Amino acid sequence: MTGGALFGKQPTMTVNQTCDGVRRRDFLRIGALGTAGLSLSDYLRWTAAAESSPKRAKAAIFVNLEGGPSHLDTFDPKPDAADEYRGEFRPISTSVPGIQISEHLPKLAGCLEHYTILRGITHSLAAHPLGQKYVSTGNRPIPSLEFPSYGAVVSRELGGPADLPLHVAVPKINQGAGYLGVKYAALNTGSTPKAGRPYSVRGVSLAGSLTVEDVQRRQGLLEDLDQRMRQLDGQNDLVAGLDRFTEQAHTIITSSRARQAFDVSRESPSFAAPFGETPFGQSCLLATRLVEHGVPFVTISFGGWDTHLDNWTRLKERQLPPLDEGLSALFSGLAQKGLLDSTAVLVTGEFGRTPKINTERNGRDHYARAMFMLMAGAGMTGGRVIGETDGTGSGPLHDGHSPDDVAATFYQLLGIDPTREYQTSTGRPVMIVREGTVIPELLS
Amino acid sequence: MNTSNGLPRFCRAVVLFVIGLTLSVTGPVRRVSAAAETGPVRPIDQRFTDGQDAGRDSAEASGEIPDFRRHVVPLLGRLGCNGRACHGSFQGQGGFRLSLFGYDFNADHENLVAGDEPRVDLTDAGASLMLRKPLEEEPHEGGRRLEQKSWQLAVLRRWIEEGAVGVTDKTADFVRLEVTPSELVAREPGQTWQLRAVAVWSDGTFEDVTPLCRFQSNDDQVATIDAHGEVTARGPGDSHVVAFYDNGVVPVPVLFPVSGRVGDDYPEIVATTKIDELVLGKLSTLGEIPSDRCSDGEFLRRVSLDLTGTLPTAAEARTFLADNRSDKRARKIDELLERPGYAAWWATRFCDWTGNNARNQQNNGPDRQNVVSAAWYDWMRTRLEENLPYDELVERIVLARSRLEDESYADYCERMSGYLAKGGDTSFADQPYLPYFWSRRTFRTTEERALGFAYTFLGVRIQCAQCHKHPFDQWTKDDFDRFENFFSRVRYVQARQVPDTGSVRSSMMAALDIDPDLKGNRLDQRLAKLAAQGQTVPFGETVVMPPPKPVDPEKLARFKERAATPKQKARLQQFLSGRTATVLGGDEIALDEVDDPRQILLAWMRDENNPYFAPAIVNRIWSCYFNVGIVEPPDDLSLANPPSNAPLLEFLAAGFREQGYDLKWLHREICNSDTYQRGWEPNDTNRLDERNFARAVPRRLPAEVAYDAIRVATAGTAEVDKICQVDAKRAIADPVVSRQGGSYALTVFGRSIRESNCDCDRSTEPSLLQTVFLQNDAEMLGMIDRRDGWLAEVTATDSDPAEIVEEAYMRTLARRPTAAERDRSLAHIHAADSLRAGVRDLLWALLNTKEFIVNH
Repeated sequence: MTGGALFGKQPTMTVNQTCDGVRRRDFLRIGALGTAGLSLSDYLRWTAAAESSPKRAKAAIFVNLEGGPSHLDTFDPKPDAADEYRGEFRPISTSVPGIQISEHLPKLAGCLEHYTILRGITHSLAAHPLGQKYVSTGNRPIPSLEFPSYGAVVSRELGGPADLPLHVAVPKINQGAGYLGVKYAALNTGSTPKAGRPYSVRGVSLAGSLTVEDVQRRQGLLEDLDQRMRQLDGQNDLVAGLDRFTEQAHTIITSSRARQAFDVSRESPSFAAPFGETPFGQSCLLATRLVEHGVPFVTISFGGWDTHLDNWTRLKERQLPPLDEGLSALFSGLAQKGLLDSTAVLVTGEFGRTPKINTERNGRDHYARAMFMLMAGAGMTGGRVIGETDGTGSGPLHDGHSPDDVAATFYQLLGIDPTREYQTSTGRPVMIVREGTVIPELLS
Repeated sequence: MNTSNGLPRFCRAVVLFVIGLTLSVTGPVRRVSAAAETGPVRPIDQRFTDGQDAGRDSAEASGEIPDFRRHVVPLLGRLGCNGRACHGSFQGQGGFRLSLFGYDFNADHENLVAGDEPRVDLTDAGASLMLRKPLEEEPHEGGRRLEQKSWQLAVLRRWIEEGAVGVTDKTADFVRLEVTPSELVAREPGQTWQLRAVAVWSDGTFEDVTPLCRFQSNDDQVATIDAHGEVTARGPGDSHVVAFYDNGVVPVPVLFPVSGRVGDDYPEIVATTKIDELVLGKLSTLGEIPSDRCSDGEFLRRVSLDLTGTLPTAAEARTFLADNRSDKRARKIDELLERPGYAAWWATRFCDWTGNNARNQQNNGPDRQNVVSAAWYDWMRTRLEENLPYDELVERIVLARSRLEDESYADYCERMSGYLAKGGDTSFADQPYLPYFWSRRTFRTTEERALGFAYTFLGVRIQCAQCHKHPFDQWTKDDFDRFENFFSRVRYVQARQVPDTGSVRSSMMAALDIDPDLKGNRLDQRLAKLAAQGQTVPFGETVVMPPPKPVDPEKLARFKERAATPKQKARLQQFLSGRTATVLGGDEIALDEVDDPRQILLAWMRDENNPYFAPAIVNRIWSCYFNVGIVEPPDDLSLANPPSNAPLLEFLAAGFREQGYDLKWLHREICNSDTYQRGWEPNDTNRLDERNFARAVPRRLPAEVAYDAIRVATAGTAEVDKICQVDAKRAIADPVVSRQGGSYALTVFGRSIRESNCDCDRSTEPSLLQTVFLQNDAEMLGMIDRRDGWLAEVTATDSDPAEIVEEAYMRTLARRPTAAERDRSLAHIHAADSLRAGVRDLLWALLNTKEFIVNH
């Protein structure tokens, strides 16, 4: 038989209906034109298209400060607040007149022109898992649907070179690809680089003593032995997908570019030095390298911000120095390599911390009504503060912005329409960001 | 709806009889009455004209007034007004909102005639925005929807002129939609048919509503359908066209044979089993010839992976291939059903469907998340080992409360603590109930429980109806609200929230001498530790609250009398809330007198006419064997998504019930069929069909099965039996699905995340990271090279390379290599630096073939 596809030929092409009256097949067809649709066949078609048409270099880095960093003791100091709120840190001036941040962030104070501080971001989910889901997807979590991480959406929308993974998480990401499916899952590095030492990543770098020649040889054997299902060529999505991914995996594994992208020891010492030797600093260094080599999305996870106990000691000794060093080097490093304008950076934890000090533990507890975020790159004007909290940092003045608004803006900066609709596999239409509105000041 | 129009028997509305329970049935929701003999009312486009067509007897002359429910709302639907992108949007559009897909007749009417800017002008019908906007006499973002001098305009205008009346008490109920012809068999592309749809109403009237229906084709490469219901055959295949009107959803099968081999020209193929007979029945109408029987090696590999989640060992494969008995396949099926792998693997599937996710357990007790998850899995596995009838298994979940009958709170805590005690000899898996299904974080509200329950046990997605009329099924928002009431009284509580258990808890805590400041996680950890030491500690529990106080009939009458405005109606609804509930497609039932409303649900599910309970599980299990369900997706039993083979689904569901819900009967019935044992190699007639079971469709191994298969294929002699007997740690028996700390490989291969009430939480799609893992991950390469693995074992001795090659094939693919494969493999081994390096590459290559990672 030739011609006419029939019967819902591919399992993913099953005809079904959506909640809103548009049938899935319609969406699949639209999907081929790049609007939505999540079948494997679309994916194959789409990646093929992505490779053949040169696109503008666009990338993003998401820095996830897990645990929820205190806003008052970092980017939203309240030196004039009463004792029970203020905390022991003093503010210092920054490179931008009139803007002050914590004294324990001197390097970040010195390069504020590279980034923008968002104050008074507000939501209501003051528990770690829910808050994390919220800020990692830009959608308030709901029980019936798992939203995709930023990286999953961006790698789906922007694509990337065939010999590199589309989303790398250093060392790992908790948020999965949700309704977009496993093919948009992140590659977790599982570890962070050690300063000056060669670095390789699970699955991507050649193991042990293997050489490229060894790999070519065994690949040759595989090609010759993997003939049994040839009959299904061109007729079965699964077979086509496996063939394609086998080829792509081999390309990545043997690609010198992929290996080099991960190997931070190839960076010049003068460029690498400002990042410091901490795991976070090295993660930032790795992120700049990956973006430079063409990886469209990098997530950096940096935990330890859940400072119920001894907030100030922990911040000034363990948390803030690496953040200050790593993040300022990331901004400056991207700028130095000419990548900052084409890379969007978003820095956030899942919430802020209670303005009122918990005197029993000398700490601050979970607080979602006010928090800070940072954004940089992608042509945004830096050196600004957007939004404002009240005198004690207890809530935004005026309405404040939600994580959804920031997400919408983040996607917009990457040329992705946040209101674009996807189709979940249950046939439900969902916008990339369901509730958010772009924050216009950030785009100006 | 009857079987003659192609609908499966199970689509009929169900009337419920529950014996032994005191029920008050307050009258059927949809009363059926016989249609008159006189023939239907002519279609509306013939009754209404704009007075231009002088010769015809316009309805205006006959004085007919269009009816809001029968004519106006469906017409608005046909014109596209209530779609999601238009006024059906929850925010409305241009200041005017309609209910999405109609069916909220009162709200729609109010939005048309009332508000700041009414769409209807009763004093001057022609000035109504409802007409001027779609005519584009006023700016309309939705463009031109209505033509001058059309019957549509005439209908709407006349409705307005006659007072724009909405739905009243006298409005008849919709009974059913009848669509003819009931089946379309195509012979050539371009062939056309006109569908005719007749609506039947409870007052005995019936009307040709073809011009008011919405139509869709489920696959427009097989057939297209236009707005007027004209179907055009497009190409070979098998699909449905569907007509929608009011609450009616009627799919009409379209069959377009793929070859000339139909009727007398269809070859004679013996049907060994009833399944085969029913599958061949469908295939013969399509001119599709099934593929040949698969080889013994393929069968062994396929059935072992499907039934026990385990790859057959090389030794087992050799024995099976050498077995000459004619019934060896049936014997193997029986043998596999008794292996530990069967219960171990299928318990994981059941945990997927019931939503066993450690992260979603309310971790507010000493039975902490992972402990609960493991207990849930063990409970499920024990039930499958016992082969407990499926309806009883479900009963023990549906009716579960934490306490056993007559058990005091203190005794309950003692029993539960015993399960956690180190070295204790009792296990949660040995007690009858699974209350953890109800104590999930995702089951906190009645809505969530209703959605999750319908997904797990009925295979029905009623999410849509939570907010609006289900666009592809009969469910309305009202149906959802009434169904939800079954779940209002079950809840998970902390002992301290309930007075009588609170005091028991307090004294328990005092006896344990626990720091009163200890709270949250730390308290739970402390309690878990004490329980492990053998102390009795307090637990939270799933309970069923007592029924609300009986309704005072006088009060109710007063409420009803006053229920005129929507607000008053809402008050009445609130007053009645939790007192009555309605099973899907059935009658309203009073709950006041019932000890546990879930008993009514269960009785309904067990009724032999229940359209969902048995079909849902039978279809799900079928889909695990055939890549797709008979209804696909398997968790979407809905009117507009009919089964690809209704008699087959009916047979399996009925047989399953008659066999006392015996799961092993179902597995046996499927695995012994020729249909299951077909080869995957297609022929010219079945090449493009993956929905009608004419051949085996290759499926990627499920995550856990894939991971274990790699371990079996690479294991040394000593280890391999332990793995296969599930004595060693197995991925197929890993109970804990959690975001943190999950296995990298299982995550990458898409094990179910058990998050969102969807079978699609499990993924069997391929991905780049899976292939990267198989080709180059240290964990994967480590398995090949492990110290006690097969590679080390076989290369340590002076084995014959040809034998090694054969063994490598048997342990990965359960077959011998072809001559060409053997020669190529030997050449590689000889050219390698060492025997070990050569064999390593061979094993690596075989594990990376499609043949390995796919069940075929």
